[in-house]
Amino acid sequence: MKYFVGIDIGSTSIKISIIDEKKNLIGSKTSASGSMFYKYAQETLDLLLKELEISPKDVVYTVSTGYGRKLYKEADENISEITANAIGARASAKEFGEIKTIINIGGQDSKAISLDNDGNVTNFAMNDRCAAGTGKFLDVVALKLEMGVDELGEKHFKAKGTPLGVSSTCAVFAESEIIGLLGNNHSVEDIVCGVHYSIAKRIVKLVKRVGVKEGIYFDGGPALNEGLVNAIENELGKRVFIPKFPQVTTSYGAAIMGVDSFLYDQN
Amino acid sequence: MTSKFKHDIESPLQKQNRHKAMEAIRIINTLKDDFKNPIESMNYFYKLFEDVFCNQKSLHDGKLKVGTMCIQIPSEIIYALDAVPIRLCNGFYSDDEIGSDYMPQKSCPLVRSTVGHFASGNFSDKPHLIYSPTTCDQKTKAGVTIESFGYEVVDVDFPRVKDSEISREYFRRSIREFAIDLSKKTGNKLNKKSLKQSIAKIGYAQSLYHKLCEYRKKKNIVISGNDMFFVTNAFFFDKIDSWIDACENLLKECKQREDENLFVNGKISPRIVYTGSPPIFPNYKVPIVIEESDGIIVADETCSSNRMFNDRVAVDEWFVNDMLDSMADKYLKACTCPIFTKNDDRIRRIIDLVKTYSADGVVYQSFAGCTVYEAEQRSVLEAMEKEGIPILYIESDYSPSQGGQLTTRVEAFIESLKTRKRIKK
Ligand code: SF4
Ligand code: SF4
Repeated sequence: MKYFVGIDIGSTSIKISIIDEKKNLIGSKTSASGSMFYKYAQETLDLLLKELEISPKDVVYTVSTGYGRKLYKEADENISEITANAIGARASAKEFGEIKTIINIGGQDSKAISLDNDGNVTNFAMNDRCAAGTGKFLDVVALKLEMGVDELGEKHFKAKGTPLGVSSTCAVFAESEIIGLLGNNHSVEDIVCGVHYSIAKRIVKLVKRVGVKEGIYFDGGPALNEGLVNAIENELGKRVFIPKFPQVTTSYGAAIMGVDSFLYDQN
Repeated sequence: MTSKFKHDIESPLQKQNRHKAMEAIRIINTLKDDFKNPIESMNYFYKLFEDVFCNQKSLHDGKLKVGTMCIQIPSEIIYALDAVPIRLCNGFYSDDEIGSDYMPQKSCPLVRSTVGHFASGNFSDKPHLIYSPTTCDQKTKAGVTIESFGYEVVDVDFPRVKDSEISREYFRRSIREFAIDLSKKTGNKLNKKSLKQSIAKIGYAQSLYHKLCEYRKKKNIVISGNDMFFVTNAFFFDKIDSWIDACENLLKECKQREDENLFVNGKISPRIVYTGSPPIFPNYKVPIVIEESDGIIVADETCSSNRMFNDRVAVDEWFVNDMLDSMADKYLKACTCPIFTKNDDRIRRIIDLVKTYSADGVVYQSFAGCTVYEAEQRSVLEAMEKEGIPILYIESDYSPSQGGQLTTRVEAFIESLKTRKRIKK
């Protein structure tokens, strides 16, 4: 059996996907990037192979992507996360229909990608200048509210009053805004809901820059937060599709690229 | 992914309501939470704004709601005909964004957001018909755009010169026309008694505003400028009787606070006269920055507050037509809007306010795109310099950004006023 590996080395986490020749996802794993991208990537891959009982010899092609893609020297090829994201999204949203727009919120950036009918990237926009509206931002919020990031979604749906948005685009200032709101006895639910809407508004602005086309796919770790999903859907006025494992779409896409490159090389 | 939480997607209307609610609650909370010694009777106003702008509560169902595009439409007449006036000047950025599709990019945010409000059709109290005085070009043209959304908009001829006898005659005729038109539309006849009553009522409301202002003349201040903007902005849409009650309560509390030495200013807080484009809820960007920087707004010269309440209708003959004439005179002569030539009147008013309220400086805000305030700014600055009154000119809009730059400029100005005060002592 031949296997293909996609490694997405992001700023906060490493995501690895393994697929077979038919492009089925066999397994995936994520870990923190930490200070040594390369080492952690290697360790995570070893661990995943062991878990899946796959011999490293059977891995015939590896593609790296993400910020740290060039650091992973073992890769046969590296591609940008935009391309990888697009390929992965289309492949993992088969039951959903055609994907035309991708929203990706990562640990430290967020992007909107627009695709044509053939799945080619026609345009994209990124917000990578600061942590506003990213996973990092949600971490900061959760920390301040003394809860896990995974609890934010539930709180969102319990909001009763008007969502209390934070206006600061900077995570540092937003933090003090949140402290202020807490200090004045506003409900955690209303704050969380407001934070989600603040992020959603920013993301939707980004999406509008590339054009909102029906067939919207949302991935990246924060897509697991249903409160945020709700806010984004409301801001867009449209449903979005969330894959089963939104964190690994990009590494999945990289692995798929591996299959195509491998077959191309052989012919 | 399977969802744990079932939810529907908001309709465009719900979404816009949420946007406005989020904008509104932010300002309400700022006033409630961020300043020292909050006044208890202000809660009526905070609640009112929350009801209307966060919970879309309507206040005037069952009445004919008459929208007015500027302060120069006498509400006395509207009340006398058993209808309610609703001032349409808008302060929401969410509406500004919608209005940008209909008005030129260079137009002022007040006009854009007013148009945007109509484009969305999303009102707590939707006006049945609209009277639009032909004041500044943008307001005038906005009326036509609003009409295209299917509203009935009646232009009210308005002169741009106010000193001449011709314009006085002109506006008197205009107001009579307006009264006839509205009386036709309400099916009510304007009579002496009801007109007299409504003049008295508005006059009384104005007197309450003036009583509140008396407290602002004193050395220590019991009510912040931002709270005052809440009070005066509420007059745009509140039930007049409730507004009057709330102001009476506020006055009582002001008295009490004075006895208890509860003040909102610090020892050296510079006293500011605020002028220029009107602060309209929730766009209190500049006034909030002023007061957060330890300035205290003691008076203003804007059409969302002082200009709206300043002079009272003075009647010497109590016949319907005479009352209408004196109303026309009051609305025209007393108004210091910069759409008029010359510039002297507003300058005189500002200097007068600085003196009566012992102000240390003036902040002059002009909305980007408002040509009249921008044009007049120069002469006002010169006049202030001549009088030795420090003045800060700021151009702003409704966008939530601009924060840092704006804050720095205002803070620096307030600091400089403090330094002056210290040296003088
Ligand atoms: S600025 Fe002048 S024209 Fe505009 S609303 Fe105020 S009073 Fe009317
Ligand atoms: S702010 Fe200026 S442009 Fe805008 S309505 Fe008032 S006078 Fe007209």
